Amino acid sequence: MSIRSGITTSLTRWVFILPIAFMMLFFALPMILTAVWSVFERTMFWMEPGFTLFSYENFFTSARLLNFLASMYHSSIAVLICLVLGFPIAVFVRRRIPQAAQHRVVLLFILPFMVSETIRVFALRPVLQRNGLVNGALMKLGVITEPLTAILYTPLGVIIGEVLSFLPFIVFSGFLAMEAVPRYIFEICEDLGANTFRVYKDIILPLAAPGIFAGSVFIFVNGIGVALLPNILGGPGAVNAGLIATQAISALDFPLAMAVSAIMTATLFLLLYIGHRLFDLTHILDPVNK
Amino acid sequence: MTEYGNPVTYGLKWLYLLLIVCLLMSPVFYVMYISFNENGFGARHYVFTLDWYKVIFTDRQMLTALSWTMKLSIATMLITIPLSLLAAKYYKTTRHKVLTVFLLLSPLFVSSDIMGSALLVFFKNLNGVFTFVGDKYSILWLQSWFELGFTTALIGLIIYTIPYAFIVILITMGRYRQQQTEAARACGATGWQAFTDIEFPQIRPGVFSACAFTIILAFNEYTRTNLLKGGFDTFTTVLVSEMLNTGMSEQSYAMSSLVSFIAIAIIGTIIIVTLLKSDSIAQRERVKAEPGSNES
Amino acid sequence: MSNVPPAVETRDLSKHYGQVRALQNVSVNIAAGEYFVLLGPSGGGKTTLLRTIGGFHRPTTGSVLLHGNDVSRLPPDKRPTSMVFQSYALFPHMTVLGNVSYGLSLTKMPKDQIQEKAKTMLEMVGLTGYEDRKPHELSGGQQQRVQLARSLVLDRDILLLDEPLAALDAQLRKDMCLELKHLQEQVGITFIHVTHNQEEAMTVADRIALIADGNLIEQGSARDIYERPKHRFTASFVGENNLMDGTLLTVSGDDAVVDIAGVKLMAKTEGQSFTAGDAVSISIRSELVKTDASSLSGSVEGHCIIGTFREAVYLGLTTSFRLTLDNSNEIQARFVTGQSAQQFSPGDRVSLHWQPGDTRLHAAQTKTHTP
Repeated sequence: MSIRSGITTSLTRWVFILPIAFMMLFFALPMILTAVWSVFERTMFWMEPGFTLFSYENFFTSARLLNFLASMYHSSIAVLICLVLGFPIAVFVRRRIPQAAQHRVVLLFILPFMVSETIRVFALRPVLQRNGLVNGALMKLGVITEPLTAILYTPLGVIIGEVLSFLPFIVFSGFLAMEAVPRYIFEICEDLGANTFRVYKDIILPLAAPGIFAGSVFIFVNGIGVALLPNILGGPGAVNAGLIATQAISALDFPLAMAVSAIMTATLFLLLYIGHRLFDLTHILDPVNK
Repeated sequence: MTEYGNPVTYGLKWLYLLLIVCLLMSPVFYVMYISFNENGFGARHYVFTLDWYKVIFTDRQMLTALSWTMKLSIATMLITIPLSLLAAKYYKTTRHKVLTVFLLLSPLFVSSDIMGSALLVFFKNLNGVFTFVGDKYSILWLQSWFELGFTTALIGLIIYTIPYAFIVILITMGRYRQQQTEAARACGATGWQAFTDIEFPQIRPGVFSACAFTIILAFNEYTRTNLLKGGFDTFTTVLVSEMLNTGMSEQSYAMSSLVSFIAIAIIGTIIIVTLLKSDSIAQRERVKAEPGSNES
Repeated sequence: MSNVPPAVETRDLSKHYGQVRALQNVSVNIAAGEYFVLLGPSGGGKTTLLRTIGGFHRPTTGSVLLHGNDVSRLPPDKRPTSMVFQSYALFPHMTVLGNVSYGLSLTKMPKDQIQEKAKTMLEMVGLTGYEDRKPHELSGGQQQRVQLARSLVLDRDILLLDEPLAALDAQLRKDMCLELKHLQEQVGITFIHVTHNQEEAMTVADRIALIADGNLIEQGSARDIYERPKHRFTASFVGENNLMDGTLLTVSGDDAVVDIAGVKLMAKTEGQSFTAGDAVSISIRSELVKTDASSLSGSVEGHCIIGTFREAVYLGLTTSFRLTLDNSNEIQARFVTGQSAQQFSPGDRVSLHWQPGDTRLHAAQTKTHTP
C-alpha cells in the first residue's frame, strides 16, 4: 500500500467522526457544563467561578418550583391527549394503508410542522379569543350564547397549544414504532379473533413501546421547556422551565438559567435512562434487528 | 384495507385522519383568512384585499431581516446535510450505535429555550477564552470567532436541525442495500465513486427532502436564533417583537401567512414531485417491460 | 511450470470478530483457470473466506496472494478480482446495459467500445434484447446473468461467486449450474464459487474445499470428496453416508478392527495413524449397503452387521430403508426403486452387508468440526 492511500484511508475514517465531534463540542459539552456554571457566583452582568448552591435554592424554595411542577402536570395531560388522538392514526396508516402510500399519508402531518412554531402559537390567540374562530363558530351553531373566555390565558390554553404543536410527533414516532409490528401479526390476530382492545393491549403496545415512549418524552420535555407556549397562551401563573431560563437570561441571572438547564438535562437523562432500562430504545431505528 | 374490512369504518378512519390534519392547520388557515381582510381581525365586514402584503415589501427592516434569514438558513443547510450524511454512513457501520444515536437525536429532547440558554452561556465563555488567548499571544484573528453573531446562530441552528436531517437520511438509506456498494467496488469503483454513482442517486429524494426540511426549520426557528444572533434580526425575531410590542397587527398576519404559504408550497411541491416522479418512472418502466414491446 | 504462482493463495488466513473466529488459519492454493468451490454449512466461514479474497474483509492474521502478489491490505477495486453476489446487488437505477458497462465506464476506455463489449457480454449470457430494462423487470435468473456479465466484462482473471444461485428455484438452479460451468470453460478464468448445496458444488467444481467452523476441513476433486472422504465431517456433509461410531480394537499395518455395537467390523486406515482404543467412526455410503433377511449368509465377515428395520421411504428413483443398529445408531440403505423385491416389516431383524473396501475409517468427531 502506498503512503498516499494510507493517508487518505485514515483521513476518510476521521471525516466520518466529524459529526460526532461537532455534536460533542457544541451540544454535549455545553449541556454538561450547565451543571458547572449553575454553581458559579452571580455578578452584576455576568458570573464568576465559585461554588454556591444559591441558584438551586432560588429555584426550589420559591414559587418557581410550584410553577414548574404545574407545567409538568399540564404537559403530562398534553402527552395523554396526543397519544389518544395521534397514536391510532399511526396504527391505522401502518395497518390499513398500502405500503407504498404509507409515507405519503404520514407526510401530511409534516405540513403543520412546516409552519413556524411562532406563527402557529401566535395564531392560536385569534382562534381562541373572545371574538375569535372557536367562539364565533360555537355561537353560530347555537352551542353557546355567551363567548367562552376561560380558554386563552389559562392552563387549558397552554394544553391546547401543546397538543396542536406536538401532535404530529406522536404520529411520526408511532409510525416508526409500528415498524416493529409486522403486518402479518394483524392477520394472525384476525385469525384468532382478537378484538381491537386486545390487539392494542397484547400486541401493539408492547411491541411499539419504545417508539411510544420516545414520542411521549419528546412532548413532555418540550411542553415544560418551550417558553413560547405559556408566554403567549398562558395566564400569569403559567411559567415553565423554558420561561424561567429565558427570564433569568433577560435579568442577567446566568447561574439561575444554567441551574434550570441542568435540572432539565437531569430530568431528561432520568427519563431516557428509565426508558432504556424498560425497553431498549435503540430498537426504534433498528426494529428489524430485534 | 383487508379484503373483508368494513368500508364504512375505513372511510371514517380516513375522515378522522384528515380532520386532525385540518385541526392542526386551522390556526394557520385562520391567519391566512384574516390576512386578506381589509378590516383586519374581528371586523364585522370581510373585504378582500392584498394591501397588507404590499406593506411587507416596503418595510426595509423586514426585507433586511428576510435576507439575513435566508443566508442563515442556506448556510445551515450547507453544513447540516453533509454532516448528517456522514453521520448516517457512520451509524450504519459503527459498533457504537447507542452512543451515536443518542448524541445525534438528543437535541430533539432539549427544548429550544434550554438549549439556547446553554449555548448562549457556552459561547460567551468561549468568546472570553478566545479573546484572552488572542490578547495574550497577539493572535488577532482568533478574537471574534465566537462573539454572538452569525456563526453562533449558525451553530445553534445546525445542532437543532441535525436530528431531523439525520432521521430523514437514515430512513432513506435503510432501503439501500449495502451489497450494491460492494458490487461497485468489485467493478473497480473507489469508495467515493461507489457513493456518487450508486448510492447517492438512490438516496437523492431523501437528501433533497432533508435539505428543504432543514432550510424551513432554520428559517422558522425563533428561540435559538433570538438568543444567539447578537446584532442582526431575522424574520421570526422581527415578527415576534412586532407582535409583542404592538399586538397582532394586520401586517403581521400577512407576514405570517406569506411565510406559511411559501413553506407549505415548498414541502407540498417536494412531496408531490418526488413521489409522482418515482411513480411515473416506475410506470413508464413497467410499460417498457410489457412482453412484446421491447422483446428482440 | 512450478515457478508460476497460483492464481489465489491464502496463507494461514484468520478473521476474528471479537471472540468469534470466522476463519482459522486457512491455507489454500487455487490454480489459474480452475473452477474451485467452497462448500460447507451456513455460518461456516466460506463466505468470509471468499470476501477476504475479494477484499471486503481485512484478514486478522495471514495473507492473501493473487498471482503471487500480497494484496491483503488492498481494497476490492485494487484487486484483480470481481464478484457476483447472492442477489439484490444490481444497481436498480441503471438499465441492464448501464449495469454491465458500469465497471468499464470507470476506466479510460472509449464509450462506443464499452457499449460494444457490454453488448457482446450480454449476448454471451443470453440477454440480448434486454439492454434497456431495469433490474426489477427481470426474473431472478436473468438478474444473476446480468451480474455475471457485469463481472466478466471487466476481463479480470478471478471471478468470485457468493452463493450466486441460492435465490433461484430448484430447476433453474440446475440449469444455471451447467451454464456457469460452460461459461467458465469458455472464458477460461479462475472461478471461486461459494455454496452450501452439494449437488451444485459437484456439478461445477474442478475442486471442492470443505469449510466448516472457520476451518478448511478437506479439499479434493468432487469424486475424491464423494467417494473417499477423509474426515468424518466430510462424510456427514457430502453424499448420504452412514456413520457408525465405535472403538478401535486393533491396528495391524493398514488393517483396523473396530467394535461397533459389539460387532467387529474391518476397515483400512489408508495412511492415517490410529492407536488401539481410539474413538473412531466408520462411514459407508447408503447406496453401498445391501440388506438381507437371511442371517448373514453370503457376506464377508467383518463387513456385515445386524440391524432392526424401521421403515421404507419411497423417493421416486430410489427407495431408502431406514434401520437402527443395536446401539441405536441409524443406518440407511438406498437402492434404485424396483431393483429389490425385499419386503420388511418394522421390527424385523435384517442383515446389512457391503463389499470390503467400501468403508472408510475416520477419527471420531473433534469439537471444532461440528457438522
